Amino acid sequence: MIVLAFLMSFALDAFSQTKGAATPNPGVDWKALDHKWLDSEKNGDLDYLQQFFADSYVLVLANGQSYTKKEWLGILKGPDRPTLLFLNSENIQAHVFGNVAILTDHTTIKGHDSKGNSMDGEFNVFRVVIKQNGSWKATGVVMNEDRTKKP
Amino acid sequence: MTRTYGLAGTMIFIIASAAAALGQVPKKAGSPADDVAATAAIMDHIWLDAAHNRDTGTLEWLFADDFVEVHPGGFIVNKQEQIDQIMDPQRTLDELHPDDIHVLYASPDVAVLTDITTIKGVSGGVRYDGPQRVIRVFVKQQGRWRAAGAGIARMAAK
Repeated sequence: MIVLAFLMSFALDAFSQTKGAATPNPGVDWKALDHKWLDSEKNGDLDYLQQFFADSYVLVLANGQSYTKKEWLGILKGPDRPTLLFLNSENIQAHVFGNVAILTDHTTIKGHDSKGNSMDGEFNVFRVVIKQNGSWKATGVVMNEDRTKKP
Repeated sequence: MTRTYGLAGTMIFIIASAAAALGQVPKKAGSPADDVAATAAIMDHIWLDAAHNRDTGTLEWLFADDFVEVHPGGFIVNKQEQIDQIMDPQRTLDELHPDDIHVLYASPDVAVLTDITTIKGVSGGVRYDGPQRVIRVFVKQQGRWRAAGAGIARMAAK
């Protein structure tokens, strides 16, 4: 198995032409980043989100439905935008790997969609942010309803 | 032992085949990002093949130390917990494979992709019976690619 691992490492590394450079990220306040993200969605700060979402951004809801950056911002700025009365994250954990970080958090949502259907829920969320041109940008989100405490 | 060598041989064959195929990509596209994207797609298959085959050695090699995965139901596991779930004798997986792989982002040291992973069985106390939409993250550490994490959401039946 060690031989296999070595071979795989060698073969896969051969495809990459550039050595990765893990950039240290001193002073990044991941909790503040997470909260700013959610506050902007709650308050409709679309200018910030336009900048903060990478072009590659994808949002995956708990039902597997996915939205691109264009699609999600279109919803937030359109007539069918949801009303978010409460949107907050707790237990934010950051897993930092140089120029990418995975954040996990517990997000509480209270609100409703444009038709009045409740969007209330507790979610455990997987967030991916990447460092591009010196700035951290969101590139992916996967939401899952938190059933960890339910029988 | 025979099974282990069989798996190893299969994986080497897959890698060799992929390498041969990938060898043609740079001539057409010539982009390092394309190389990274192709590598990430291969890593996706290696990841799920190893999980399906309970290949602990490959998973240990593949997962970064600070690996994290979020499962349907919101269950969050680290590297050791994920491997323990895969090795759990109670786990039964009849099907596990990725399709529709799309690389969202590729840089010299980061790749983020989505796929639709078909899972049928029970793992970590969670029953799976169909397609899951997944975001997977790969990072390059000390010159080699490793899996940093994944978020998995069950796709509702249409």
